[in-house]
Amino acid sequence: MTDDRTSVTPGPVSTRARRFSLGRLWQGNAGRQIFVAILLFLVVLSFFSLSSNVFLSSQNLANLARSFSWLAMAAIGQGVVIVMGGIDLSVGATMALAGLVAGRCMQLGFSVALAIMLGLLVGVVVGAINGLLVARFHLPAFVVTLGTMGIQRGIAYGLTGGWSVTNMPEAFLGLGQSDVGFGLWTVPAPLLITLAVALLLSLFLRRTVMGGDIYAISSGERALVVSGVNVTRLKVFVYTLCGLLAAAGGLLLAARLGVAAPAAAVGAEVDVVAAAIIGGASLFGGVGGILGVLLGAAITQMLNNGLILLGYPSYWQTAAICTLMLVTFMLDYWRRQRQAAVHGTSD
Amino acid sequence: MEPLIKARNLSFSVGSLPLIQGVSLEILPGEVLGVAGQSGAGKSVLAMLLAGMQKPDSGELVFDGRRLEWPFRARDLGIEVIHQQPEMVEGLDITRNVFLGNELGWSPRGRWLRVPDRRRMDIEAARILADLGMPYRSLRERVSNLTGEQRQLIAIARAMTHAARLIIIDDPGLLLSYPYQQKLLSLIQDWRSRGAAVLYGSDNIDHLMAVTDRILVLRHGRCISQRITEETDREQILAATFGSADQQELTPIIWALDSYYRAREQAEKLSSRQKALERDLGAPEVNRQIIDQLADQINVLDRANSALQEAQRRLLSELELERKRLAREIHDQVIQDLLAVGYRLEELESGPAVTPSLEDELQSVRSDVRKLVSDLRHICGELRPPTIDSLGLGPALQSFVHGWSNRTGIVVDLALDPNLGRLPEATELSIFRIVQEGLNNVRKHAGASRVDVRLEHTSPRRLLLSIADDGRGVPADFDLLQLSAEGHYGLSGVSERVALLGGRLKIRNQPESGALLQAEIPHPRVEPIASD
Repeated sequence: MTDDRTSVTPGPVSTRARRFSLGRLWQGNAGRQIFVAILLFLVVLSFFSLSSNVFLSSQNLANLARSFSWLAMAAIGQGVVIVMGGIDLSVGATMALAGLVAGRCMQLGFSVALAIMLGLLVGVVVGAINGLLVARFHLPAFVVTLGTMGIQRGIAYGLTGGWSVTNMPEAFLGLGQSDVGFGLWTVPAPLLITLAVALLLSLFLRRTVMGGDIYAISSGERALVVSGVNVTRLKVFVYTLCGLLAAAGGLLLAARLGVAAPAAAVGAEVDVVAAAIIGGASLFGGVGGILGVLLGAAITQMLNNGLILLGYPSYWQTAAICTLMLVTFMLDYWRRQRQAAVHGTSD
Repeated sequence: MEPLIKARNLSFSVGSLPLIQGVSLEILPGEVLGVAGQSGAGKSVLAMLLAGMQKPDSGELVFDGRRLEWPFRARDLGIEVIHQQPEMVEGLDITRNVFLGNELGWSPRGRWLRVPDRRRMDIEAARILADLGMPYRSLRERVSNLTGEQRQLIAIARAMTHAARLIIIDDPGLLLSYPYQQKLLSLIQDWRSRGAAVLYGSDNIDHLMAVTDRILVLRHGRCISQRITEETDREQILAATFGSADQQELTPIIWALDSYYRAREQAEKLSSRQKALERDLGAPEVNRQIIDQLADQINVLDRANSALQEAQRRLLSELELERKRLAREIHDQVIQDLLAVGYRLEELESGPAVTPSLEDELQSVRSDVRKLVSDLRHICGELRPPTIDSLGLGPALQSFVHGWSNRTGIVVDLALDPNLGRLPEATELSIFRIVQEGLNNVRKHAGASRVDVRLEHTSPRRLLLSIADDGRGVPADFDLLQLSAEGHYGLSGVSERVALLGGRLKIRNQPESGALLQAEIPHPRVEPIASD
């Protein structure tokens, strides 16, 4: 017992202080992650700008912005889940199902607004189910969301018999295809929607107590419970938010393509998770931000777009994106190992 | 008064292992309920149940007239919990951890959309941590870099961020050093006087005796006894805790009193080893027997020790009674007779047949008698301080110290706690005897010119007596056992008295010069005189 108390003596504290300042550059988590993301963004941007002369054309940039919008929308939700230390693999299937439900409803003559609502409701329901299974019944998020991914995809095929839904109203397609003019500039509408959502969520994450709690969960869930925070409700909320944003991303995708297909966004969960991780969200939780996720989504879509412009078959896109994701993840992992060696804690 | 929290027949088990069995309790506002028990007796589990953080298998829990279930409700209702191990969010800094779940700030609706006000929280956190006396480099420091003690202090600070109505404290003392343990005890006093209810579970019976109003003893998850702190003593609590010592069966074994506490420590160690053995060996029959034998031995030892203590206590009180009787005898008989002799001599002196030489002779006899009377009065005072029965310890000490200083020419500075009040007779007498013996030692051995005697409360149930001189100090090879072996019983007497009162004695040299004798003595609560 007395041995424990000797740790209060100033000796170890002072050495820790010195190491702390040496490692500060390496340790300033949020700042460093954003720094890496910005650097990656600039590298990828300049690479494709130099190697392809159409990359920076206004036509291509508008294309990029539109495809960025739906991915970023889903990646923001994914980013919040990852910051909390979870993961949601069902987002790709949610995107497809939400698009299908909204499209089918519009075919059945529902108003556009109601159809959008119902499409978003799909995401809310699936997200809430994910959240409840993870938070209330303590099942691993990986398995739960893998399960709901398969279920949704199956329902999507089952409902449509494999056929796509087309002929959607102009009012809906406008969401993904129209532009909004700002004087000389025209900005794609989906980009504005995504950026507005991103701004709101960023404020929520950084400025509210609940946002702070989401960052805190991974390194002190018990402390939160002890302090009277309803962590179960918080987790359900975050998974629901992720489902909602994935559904919103799915609607943007359907609106952009003019088609809602059961096979839409197959493999999109990989892009979404990669965007969040490349953007600096740590799979260990507690680190990451909306700006980073936006950068990550931009990098991912630039790779998708740029590789095609350079004439590579589209099969290479996923390989490139996942390589980048693994490298980012390994950097994060090594940094944590080093911190653990210096501080005796993993975070 | 309605109890703030009421538990009836709480039971909780993990698998087939019962951790809490049928425990009922009530705590009134402004009351401190102590929970004693060995580690593993169920103190922590009980705390978790009362905090609403574990759902009991059966039983009922009512807080302020409402049933209690969920942890996030508990905090809103004003229940704070300080755990054995501090729960922290590692990635957050000190301020955020202090205000976790209770952030200050501007709120449009409810807690979750509240915008935290860092500046206000920093100021408040700094104030609370300064109050606790916790050192830190920066409020922005991440808690994962802090020591166990600092983390525990942050957990305590968390309970101070708002006015709690029930504070549940689950033995956080393990991570705290002595001054912070004392700080925690005084915090408990503050909470109590503010009218909050406190549940305080601890391994440290001295701490429990110092601050609680009632003590509940847990053994193997059952409530063994509930006692009012004023009406019990540490031996009874210990006996209940360890399940031994039927007070009636006195075994006549002579056992050095000083060794009692060492023996108890051994017993604690043995019983923890017993548990380890049971766990490791899956308890085959042979080990079972060894363990049973060990347990029996511990029981016998324990019983013997308490019997011995009881005997010693009786002996001391009879000694005091005898001294009192003797003092009265001398005072009422011998001194009165001598005074009568003095008057007779006076009458003779003024008689007709007195020659000048006879008158001188008579006068010198008369002054001898006067001196004899004053010596006898002094002896009476030593035997039974005359003021202690009527006026109490303080005046008795003042008059004794004054006389002693006059006789020896050594300057004494006596500082008494203003809220001393009246203590039980045995305690007052013991403290007086300790001062007496201590000053006698100073006169005989120290060669001092100045003595400081100080008697003050360290907590409402704890007095600290210190006697410091500026003399030679105690020799390096100072040893109480050695001294009593050589026939010097004075200081062993002091140490016995202190031990019987459940206190601690320390004798050591001061850094500058001279010896320091310190005795810390627990006693029943004295409510301070309402002047503050």
